[in-house]
Amino acid sequence: MLLALMGVALFAGWVSLASQQAGRMTIGDPAIPVIYVGILFAIHLAFVLTGRRMDQVLLPVTGMLGSLSLLLMARLPQGLAGLSLGGLDLGLAPLQLLWLSLALAVLAILAVAVRNDNWLREYKYTWAAVGIGLLLLVFVLPPAGAERIDAPRLSLRIGPITGQPSELLKVILVVFLAGYLAENRTLLARTSTRLGPVSLPPVPYLLPMLAMWGVALAIVIVQRDLGAALLFFTVFLTLLYVATRRFAYVVLGMAMFLVGATVLYQLFPHVRVRVDIWLDPWADPLGAGYQVIRGLYAFGRGGILGTGLGAGLPAVGDTPAIPAIHTDFVFAALAEELGMLGGLAIVALYAVIAERGLRIAARAADDFRALLAVGLTLVIVIQAALIIGGNLKLVPLTGITLPFISYGGSSLLANAIVIGLLLALSDRGVEPPPPPSSARRFRLPSRTPA
Amino acid sequence: MTAGGGIVSGDGAGGAGAAPSIGSALLRVGLALAVLFGGIGAGMGYWQVVEAQSLSTDPGNPLVQAAARNAPRGRILDVNGEVVAFNERGSSGERLRRYPFPAMTPVLGYQSMRFGTSGLERAYDAELTGLKPLGPGRDMMRKFLTDPYDPSDLHLSIDVRLQAAAASALGGDRGSVVAIEPATGRVLALVSNPTFDANRLVDPAGGADYLESLRGERSTPLLNRATQGRFVPGSVFKIVTATAGLGSGAIDPSTTYPTDEEYESGFLVEGFTIRDSPRSFQRDRPLDFFEATEVSSNIWFAHAALDTGADELLAWSERFGFGAALDFDLPTAASQVTGGDGPLSGFTDRVELANAAYGQGETLVTPLQMALVAACVANDGVMMRPHLVDRLESEDGRVQTVGSSELRTVMGAPDAEDITQAMVLAVEGEFGQVFAGSAKVQDATTAGKSGSAQVGETGRPHSWFIGFAPAEEPRIAIAVIVERAGFGSEVAVPMAGDLMSLYLDSAE
Repeated sequence: MLLALMGVALFAGWVSLASQQAGRMTIGDPAIPVIYVGILFAIHLAFVLTGRRMDQVLLPVTGMLGSLSLLLMARLPQGLAGLSLGGLDLGLAPLQLLWLSLALAVLAILAVAVRNDNWLREYKYTWAAVGIGLLLLVFVLPPAGAERIDAPRLSLRIGPITGQPSELLKVILVVFLAGYLAENRTLLARTSTRLGPVSLPPVPYLLPMLAMWGVALAIVIVQRDLGAALLFFTVFLTLLYVATRRFAYVVLGMAMFLVGATVLYQLFPHVRVRVDIWLDPWADPLGAGYQVIRGLYAFGRGGILGTGLGAGLPAVGDTPAIPAIHTDFVFAALAEELGMLGGLAIVALYAVIAERGLRIAARAADDFRALLAVGLTLVIVIQAALIIGGNLKLVPLTGITLPFISYGGSSLLANAIVIGLLLALSDRGVEPPPPPSSARRFRLPSRTPA
Repeated sequence: MTAGGGIVSGDGAGGAGAAPSIGSALLRVGLALAVLFGGIGAGMGYWQVVEAQSLSTDPGNPLVQAAARNAPRGRILDVNGEVVAFNERGSSGERLRRYPFPAMTPVLGYQSMRFGTSGLERAYDAELTGLKPLGPGRDMMRKFLTDPYDPSDLHLSIDVRLQAAAASALGGDRGSVVAIEPATGRVLALVSNPTFDANRLVDPAGGADYLESLRGERSTPLLNRATQGRFVPGSVFKIVTATAGLGSGAIDPSTTYPTDEEYESGFLVEGFTIRDSPRSFQRDRPLDFFEATEVSSNIWFAHAALDTGADELLAWSERFGFGAALDFDLPTAASQVTGGDGPLSGFTDRVELANAAYGQGETLVTPLQMALVAACVANDGVMMRPHLVDRLESEDGRVQTVGSSELRTVMGAPDAEDITQAMVLAVEGEFGQVFAGSAKVQDATTAGKSGSAQVGETGRPHSWFIGFAPAEEPRIAIAVIVERAGFGSEVAVPMAGDLMSLYLDSAE
């Protein structure tokens, strides 16, 4: 039912866009929306046929975000991305459709196939190692794309395809944190070590987690990917709070964050530039602040109702009005054409994901599943908030994507994994978790990280 | 099998030991996320509603730049409907701005594809291109129109005849004339000489070369002297000193200076001697405020400033607008009473304060600022916001009037009346005539103050006059400065008289 509504919205948007571009009423070339809606219904059918009793809202919401993405990509200059597959030159919108289809397939497979979670919960340290290894690969293999020395080293190139490992890393991090916290949360919640007025859990229990976090953060900082660092940190703190319900951890974490941020600001020019642009983009309107200011112009031009799909000014000819409009500034572009009301609706879609995710966590059968559901939800919601906030100059702008709307395969795939796992977790027919091993709670963790 | 229990239920958590339940933590996370989404919504509201208009009309906005190329642009007309800026098709079909009156450049500025905009063309760019519609609700309507632009014509308060007369009176001299209607703040003329030909600047063919040659010019034609030129004021500043003295209560109109001794040897302030010249106008008894203004006694005003004190003098000049850019359609430079880093509230010492009293310390003023001082005295001490645009008219007949607004009451009406009386004496009195008699407007009581501002040790002084007429019901206030032209009485005073006469005659 919701899927059908979403399909109607996509077709309405498509016709509106095509008509605006052609200057007359037309439905344009309906291939892209037809294929996309077809895939979504097929997935839904698969869910029904396999007898899964999963969350009924997540798929349509995800589908709606994808629809917005397709509408935007069809509207932007097609030359922003390109890939030749056997003589077939694909532009921005067809490529995004390709990625979306792959992502939806991954989502469906995970949602249907994941019947138990032992492969996640039992091998958390293995996952952590895989994550770190993935990041290290970026340094071993030649960087993709721009060869600038100060550019973020985010990309990994395998054959013709480049990927961003930090997108996958965020999922792995959540799996590890959920596993570790579920196992040790009783101890972490207890006060054992006092450090002046601060009560800390036994140090050995904190170490592996902090180490994992520290390593991930350090590598991310070396990669110059501030957005991912912020995302990891926020998700980490929130999960810690959920697992222990100790607000002191959050305060401590914020303090650590402030100290770290100050040090980074002093030490690294790229951090300083980011913060300075945030504070006053007009100090350098044609240089560092250009992107942010162009984004704000787009918001201003949109106003309350927006200019209408296709009637905005995201591009002059083939030059996008905002650099990185198809990745970092999709929200500004959509808010220009759909207005504040449309923008709020997009925000509301993420709010729905948050609500569904937290609900799945509340219904979860044990701690691991609950923490995993919270973590996965946060990964999407916080990431959306960070980049939307960056577009709106509420927080410093970082180069992370808007889940399911930004162009890019890695981001779509990683977020599809997240939603796929959430769907699997929401399935009432899924295998019950293994009984808690009560013995383990009273001895040191049997596994320690390398 | 289900020994793990439900996380939400207290039982489950209890069964797992001392670990707290996850359920209520989830609720708080949900609340935190709600706050987060609320913040994002507020951010969107700020940029898309509160700031939307100013963002959409920002000169850096690509949309505004596109409009400058493509959109029809409104005309600009003077108070009598004379067109002072219009559009023409260039040789290659592009839209070119034309300016028939060269004297209008300091007011209008220019609009060029290459160099952007300046002057009123910049200040009212959004209205001229029609990006900012006049009527409410038009913004929403426009989404359904094929033509998104709604250009407006600007109707100015400037009288182009007065403007041109002032420019030709200045002729080859460097200087500035600013005339204001005191009761409304409408600017009647705003002249800066020399200026440049905006037609040549916006010409795609020779514009760049022309600009380059203007930049190299020693007479600085690109500087708008009226709003951004800062000059030593000399005796015209005595009006500000008088306002501070009377307003603070340090002096009253009957206060007399100087002593007999000071007639002979001058007034000695910390080793610096202030003299009055020419001595022949000095009477053989101490002067009161009216007499001191009439003969322009430096000694009297030095005494007055020292008695008033540095803090009061600064505070009262700030009420006139000193110390900050003025609230105006064009960018303005801030006028100053002192350079500002000395120990005596910014003054270096009492010598500087005494010199500032008659505009010879570190005092620097813009012609617009001095015109406002005159207009303020003329308007019973109430300063009106100066403005150049009377109204905007869109093509479909919509009209938006720019009303007059009060900036602030600078001084009480009785003080303004005393100062007016003194300024009338300075033009029409027995001794005042000798200095500023030629500012007198036929058949109208004329108030004014001349000035001869020493600049450096040698050379001719700046020739200054500020004043207004008729004194009883003032309709024009004026400031005239001619750089390095000689005594006030020689150049600026007769020029101001002619221009005020011209305006009052033509308006009848």
